[in-house]
Amino acid sequence: MATTTLTPQVGSYRRSWILEWLTTVDHKKIGIMYIVNSFLFFFLAGILALAVRSELAVPGLQFLDDATYNQAFTMHGTIMIFLFVVPVLAGFANYIVPLQIGAPDMAFPRINALSFWLLPLGGGLILSGYLFGGAAAEGWTGYTPLSSAYSPGPGTDLWLIGLLLVGTASILGSINFIATIFKMRAPGMTFFRMPIFVWTVLVTATLILLATPVLAAGLIALFIDRNYGGSFFEPATGGNPILWQHIFWFFGHPEVYIVILPAMGVVSEVLPTFSRKPLFGYRAFVFATIAIGLLSFSVWAHHMFTTGVVFLPFFSFMTALIAVPTGVKMFNWIATMYRGSISFTTAMLFAVGFLAMFLIGGISGVMMAEAPVDFHLQDTYFAVAHLHYVFFGGAVMGVFAATYYWFPKMFGRRLNEKLGKVHFWLMLIGFNVTFFPMHILGIQGMPRRIADYSPTAGWTVWNFISTIGAFTIAISILPFLLNVVATFINGERVGDDPWEGNTLEWATSSPPPPYNFDRLPPVRSERPVFDLRHRHDRERLLGEAAMAAVEEHS
Amino acid sequence: MQHLAARLRLRSVIRIAIPLVILVALGGCLMPPTPETTQGKDIFGLYTVVFIMGAIVFFAVEAAIVWAVIRYRRRDDRLPDQLHGNTFIEILWTAIPTVIVLVLFAISLTTLNQIDAKSTPAVTIEVDAFQWQWSFHYLDGDSNPSNDYIVTGTDAAPPVMGLPTGEPVKLILKSEDVIHSFFVPHFLIKRDVIPFPPGEQPNTLEFTIVNAGTYAGQCAEFCGTGHSRMLFSIQAMAPAAYQTWLASAKAGMTPAPSATPAPNETVVDLTAHNIAFDKSTLEVPAGQPFVIHFVNNDTIQHEVAIYDSSGKAVFTGRTITEGTVDYQVPALPAGTYRFQCDIHPQVMFGTLTAK
Repeated sequence: MATTTLTPQVGSYRRSWILEWLTTVDHKKIGIMYIVNSFLFFFLAGILALAVRSELAVPGLQFLDDATYNQAFTMHGTIMIFLFVVPVLAGFANYIVPLQIGAPDMAFPRINALSFWLLPLGGGLILSGYLFGGAAAEGWTGYTPLSSAYSPGPGTDLWLIGLLLVGTASILGSINFIATIFKMRAPGMTFFRMPIFVWTVLVTATLILLATPVLAAGLIALFIDRNYGGSFFEPATGGNPILWQHIFWFFGHPEVYIVILPAMGVVSEVLPTFSRKPLFGYRAFVFATIAIGLLSFSVWAHHMFTTGVVFLPFFSFMTALIAVPTGVKMFNWIATMYRGSISFTTAMLFAVGFLAMFLIGGISGVMMAEAPVDFHLQDTYFAVAHLHYVFFGGAVMGVFAATYYWFPKMFGRRLNEKLGKVHFWLMLIGFNVTFFPMHILGIQGMPRRIADYSPTAGWTVWNFISTIGAFTIAISILPFLLNVVATFINGERVGDDPWEGNTLEWATSSPPPPYNFDRLPPVRSERPVFDLRHRHDRERLLGEAAMAAVEEHS
Repeated sequence: MQHLAARLRLRSVIRIAIPLVILVALGGCLMPPTPETTQGKDIFGLYTVVFIMGAIVFFAVEAAIVWAVIRYRRRDDRLPDQLHGNTFIEILWTAIPTVIVLVLFAISLTTLNQIDAKSTPAVTIEVDAFQWQWSFHYLDGDSNPSNDYIVTGTDAAPPVMGLPTGEPVKLILKSEDVIHSFFVPHFLIKRDVIPFPPGEQPNTLEFTIVNAGTYAGQCAEFCGTGHSRMLFSIQAMAPAAYQTWLASAKAGMTPAPSATPAPNETVVDLTAHNIAFDKSTLEVPAGQPFVIHFVNNDTIQHEVAIYDSSGKAVFTGRTITEGTVDYQVPALPAGTYRFQCDIHPQVMFGTLTAK
């Protein structure tokens, strides 16, 4: 019988690498493009943050005028949230989720490419306001009626359209993730054998699917108000500006969990790997993730406690209740390290940094969940500190943990650990020097989003310290960039599984082939690669047990 | 040897004392300003409870993280016990945060009811927030606004709200443009000033001030380019002093002048009528304070501000509606100045010469 050998034909027809990247539908290339694109926006929004912090370093207006300042913090917030933290984690999910579930690609590769390419387009539109008389300047929350009748320029319209595109990208991506996770898991991978990162991405995608269309509706309504004489939010013609806040935060609070859940997923991959133990309480962790997702839809009005129009006890209670599943996760993480064998790679440092910093964001969140306390803290720098401890101390720490953890999978080379540690410590110190003083400023009564403050207000010292911290963070990025460049030039090649990972992505080559797997190990638990690595241990243990049993009987 | 022992003891004392001092100082920085209203005191009490609980959780969990990280660092290549979970302890650490949350909720609900308790206000003020200043309208209950005291702030002269201590105060918060927020850090409270559609009731804020003093406040909801300049202050005084203050404020006098006016001061008259000044030039002596006796015959707001040749405001008067005010203008160097009504600068202006 004649045997036909099938050789994979990928790469057999040649095109330039630029065209290859521009037209690719491979989830790994799209994932990398997501990540690179997000980091570019991160650096841009970081520079805007430096502008804001420089202006606030001392009283008086030195570098920016009011209008430029307002544009700077609006663009900083919008870009960081919509074009950095959400898409960068979506990028890691894009790269890792199909690998972790043993799939050859995402369910809809072309939609995957579309949802990526909408991002630079949307981001470009949002920023293009600078070319047309000024970008949007109403804060990333765009409260009406300031963002409708009182901001006539095209910057706000571009902001609306850009966000609509970015939102569409998220919705398409979330459908893709849900379809992929439901339909393309490897044989043997039941739901309760999925890696935690996949679980968090699944819950995140569900949140995106339920929340982002609400934002899209709000954006369209606001666009109609601004351009076609609509009256959704216009008090003069019977509309209600508070409606916008309800719509925005019904999206906006799940958005916080859209950002933090995948970062929690990353941490839940990194901690077990470098503690050489399974995640403590896997099922509890899954239920806690689902609980956070469900609760996130019942807490939106805690952003509106001072509006005087929301039922405080309900939203206050539900908000504080989120601390319970979050607390469960925190304890599970610590228990994962307990009696482990912890190696301090840079990825692990960032994961532990996540625990230590996110905790502070969680505690300040529970403080502000108590409505009377929030009457004092709402819209002050305390809220700014809180949200940065969640977004930066939480999500961004997770992003860097993911970067150091999965870089060898993506490129076959490991980032330099020494530079990585310099990066980590500089960033951790800079982060706390920047954002911890903001708690104090907020408690003293400094409102957020002010371009200037009086020298007699007593806020100068802490603001100055905070600005020093911001520049420390900026400096900490330099060893990171240097590290990436140096690793590409002359990085250490570390093979397919440098960390002794647990999940399927470590069962293929680094970088994986276009179709991901030549063969899949059997999936008998949530740690198939661990099982594979230690199959002999188990056989040996079973053998020893059998011998002992035989000896007992004899 | 004794010296060495003493030095060691000192060193260990320092080792414990210094972090402790830093912690206490940091903890102090994390406490809100002294509360000056009864409601603020309630909030301060709740904050203290929440903060202490937060601090306990913070130290306990951070300690657990640091301990686990140091204690279980990798020492050899042995694979640790593959511990997958423990149902009992997981139920326990779900229950503990639940109890904490429930306790906090109960305390915070009690506080909420305390600070929301309504009483008959002794003073009711309509607060009008606009881009980008405040106007305080003292309602006297006779439904005739022409004899009410209204003060409108400017960037150079933020408005002052005089209030009595020990009596309930009610603010009616109105906005005609965007959302603002009335925030006094020393009262530990803010409430949004929202342009509700017609037919909806405006927000109100009620409080009772305990101690006399001046308390700074400002807009806390981002409202556009002038947001950071929407300042005001509250001047709390004993009820009798408040009555005197209000009477003199109503009479258009500068409240409670601290210095006696110079005997032979120059007084110049200026009148506003039909959105115009009666004079286009004013002459005053250079280097001497003087008084502008300003009469506003219109039923809309006017004021007088003086600018030097570079366009810098050297004096900004209080805004008045249909009334009289004596502006105490500080000494000006010789030169030509522009005076104008900041509300109608295109039509109400003139030249002021100091020589």
